[in-house]
Amino acid sequence: MMLALIEISSPKGAPWEFLVVFAVLLLGPVLFRRFGISGIIGLLLGGYVIGPHGLSLIGAGNDTLPDLGQLGLLYLMFVAGVEIDLNLLSRYRRSAVSFGVLTFVLPFALGVLVGFALGWEALAAILLGSLLASHTLISYPAVKDAGLASDPAVATAVGSTVLTDTLALVVLAVVAGSVGGHRTTLDIAAQIVVGMGALVGYSLFVLPILAGWAFRWFGTERSVRYVVAITAFLSAATIAELFGIEGIVGAFFAGLGMNRLVPNEGELMDRIEFFGGAVFIPVFLVSVGLILNPSVMVKGETLGLAGLFIVACLGGKAIAAAISARLFHFSRSQAGLLFSLSSAQAAATLAATVIGFQLGLFSSTVVNAVLVLILVSVLASTISGSRAAEHVALPKGPKPLGTRVVVGVGDPELALGALTLARRVARADGGVVHPLLVVPESAPFSPKAALARLAEIVAVADVDGQVMTIVDRSVLHGALRIGRSREATLVLVAEPVAEQPGAQPASATAAAGAREEDGSPVPPVAVVRGNATRLGAVRTRLDDDELEPQSVAGEMARRVSSGSAQRLDDDHADWAQLLAPGDVTFVSSELGETLAKLPNAAAGLVVSTVADWLIREETAGDSSELPGDERIG
Amino acid sequence: MTAARLRGLLSAAVLAVLLALGVLGCANAGSGAAGSFSPRTPNTLTVATAQVPDPGFWAGTIAHPTGGFEYELAKRLASRFGLAKLKVVEVPFHKLVRGYLGGADMALSDITITEARAEHLDFSDSYLKAPPSIVVRPGTEVADINAARGLRWAVQHDTTLKEVLEESIEPTTTPLVFEHQREVLAALRSARANAVMLDLPIALAYAHEAPRQYQVVAQLPSEARLGIALPSGSRNTEAVDSAIRRFTADGTIKELAQRWLHADIEEGGAEGVPVLRDEE
Repeated sequence: MMLALIEISSPKGAPWEFLVVFAVLLLGPVLFRRFGISGIIGLLLGGYVIGPHGLSLIGAGNDTLPDLGQLGLLYLMFVAGVEIDLNLLSRYRRSAVSFGVLTFVLPFALGVLVGFALGWEALAAILLGSLLASHTLISYPAVKDAGLASDPAVATAVGSTVLTDTLALVVLAVVAGSVGGHRTTLDIAAQIVVGMGALVGYSLFVLPILAGWAFRWFGTERSVRYVVAITAFLSAATIAELFGIEGIVGAFFAGLGMNRLVPNEGELMDRIEFFGGAVFIPVFLVSVGLILNPSVMVKGETLGLAGLFIVACLGGKAIAAAISARLFHFSRSQAGLLFSLSSAQAAATLAATVIGFQLGLFSSTVVNAVLVLILVSVLASTISGSRAAEHVALPKGPKPLGTRVVVGVGDPELALGALTLARRVARADGGVVHPLLVVPESAPFSPKAALARLAEIVAVADVDGQVMTIVDRSVLHGALRIGRSREATLVLVAEPVAEQPGAQPASATAAAGAREEDGSPVPPVAVVRGNATRLGAVRTRLDDDELEPQSVAGEMARRVSSGSAQRLDDDHADWAQLLAPGDVTFVSSELGETLAKLPNAAAGLVVSTVADWLIREETAGDSSELPGDERIG
Repeated sequence: MTAARLRGLLSAAVLAVLLALGVLGCANAGSGAAGSFSPRTPNTLTVATAQVPDPGFWAGTIAHPTGGFEYELAKRLASRFGLAKLKVVEVPFHKLVRGYLGGADMALSDITITEARAEHLDFSDSYLKAPPSIVVRPGTEVADINAARGLRWAVQHDTTLKEVLEESIEPTTTPLVFEHQREVLAALRSARANAVMLDLPIALAYAHEAPRQYQVVAQLPSEARLGIALPSGSRNTEAVDSAIRRFTADGTIKELAQRWLHADIEEGGAEGVPVLRDEE
């Protein structure tokens, strides 16, 4: 009787649609990974299952999922730009540019040839060429995990991505601009040139300044930093569209512009990757899956087209890899790495294909053929990458100094100078800074207030890192322990200058009773005294051996000054004059303590290295493992 | 890698492409990247529509159409598919939506895309938003759904509008139902009915053409859209879909809507017409 009164309607509306989409996000990748197939395929097929060609749970007229997918597409291109390692590009620019040109031009030419031979209109043929010419670094995480990130062939392929993706997106901008109707070639060219000029100017020069400013002023809240990043790429996408250029071009350039502000191992990048990987990018892939139509995909025409695309794309990429390996004397396995890293088609290819579809240049047959290409190229890239990686020798030599910098402070008020210096050193290497509050074992206070204050200073210093805490017997010891556990490449310890009351230098708190190390690497350490948000003149007063390339102080000086540090004479005595606000002076450890006693020592920054014997004493008997109960946050 | 090996690799790749091109080129001659269109009558695009004239959408006569949104759209489609002639045939609306196109390649007749109709027809991507709207004689006020409920309604048979009227408005008196749109509007003019329901683009076109006879007082919230109907299983759907996407991207649809419907309906040009929501 009661049951008869209950009305249950069929599920519909926004909550139902979101439930369906999130079910695909949850199950699609998990199920496919179980069978060793990339999660991307699971999302694409999941999109098909719920879409109009499948169960029609998301109907053809639905706007919500395509709109969210559009946001995901912009996000994807932003991540592609922000993840690129500009340091590798800079270090291997000659080989990266050569390989970038080859690996773009050959598949592009073959793709255009295929398009014209099939009787396609010129715009469609050119767009096909450009989408085959770009690549996505699908196998890079695996190659990186194999310890080959700094292999010259890997660096060359990673660096070339900037070039290929930029060229592909410029071609896309030209093609999309040409669809605008009844304009002359000159009008289109002028529009693209002016638009690209405005976009590059905004993304690479204005945006980093605005974002840096926003990070400094609003950056204490983690969510705000994330929203700043989202706003940044949306603003660049909007500017691109104002000039009739596709928004993804703007999002990609915003990523390049923000690259230095968002280090790859930083907290903000972690958040960008988390939300991108969990929601935005998968939603884009699901929205692409809505176009998937198996009845079209298995047609002879689709498979024939896919075969052509595969031959043109992978053939062009293989030839480019072979020629480059010959030019730069790479081994056969390194040539395999070049091919593996440059052959996978995903982000830019999918983006250009979807836009070609939206512009009416491509039919769903072409889209489905490209999806087959993506599937095959991802498999080819993964398999060839793992095979080649087995035969490439691991690169020797230490990681760059700024890869991971731990800044240990006992008093947050002393942190600004060390954090500013750490940011400069890390940014030069695309690295990350880990701020660390060391609470003395005997401290009678809760570190909450100090942590909050340090978080504020971290934001003012424009450092992208979550503040950690450790209880330890000294700042130096605590910083070294965290440094070892995090595989830091540099540890900076912020010390007070002499006139600050109650301050004890870190070196003075060193424990007695030196013992041998347990074998885990101990990072180099420098002590920073003074405060500064901007760095001015850089000077060195180091012994000759400290100016050698392997010297930590010399390395830091070179990075901070971009190689233009002023070297002071041994008999220089007018130190007070040199400690102007923002000026940085790199000195030996003894001189550092002397300078710290000068009346105006806090105005500039004095950086001195810590003697090896002291580091050995501090770390004697330590394990690189941290007991969990000692880590507060 | 030796120079000879490199040359061999290069030659193999080029040969493979050429071979594949040859095979596919023979198999699919004339198939473009955006899909190919095969008309029933050589070199002619045959389009079915329910009535000419149809203000805003078709002007002139069936034998000599002279303009209108859908007529111009048909001309652009013929041009894109490289067809020199355009032929228009008249087919009653209720037959069109049941899949009878009178031998035409496609139907362009203010047809709203629905799942029920898709059982008899293939639909292209949509080209225009078409929420239901309320048209009255100037001076009649329709402040809310309750006011609308008490009006005497007229609506066309076999349209989505009839269902919307019955489900969203629920008139207190039985609506007058006519086979043709012109009869519905005649009932309004002659005061046999004091409100009619039309797709918004059509309503705006009527009100623009005869403002003393018709006024669009409200629209109902809806995701309804107009699409081109093709015979079920048509091989031309892909090409028509691509053409509609192209016309949307290059501004053709916007240009035609502004010229013939006097409003850019896709870009919020009908926002001046208030949306009537059921507050219950």
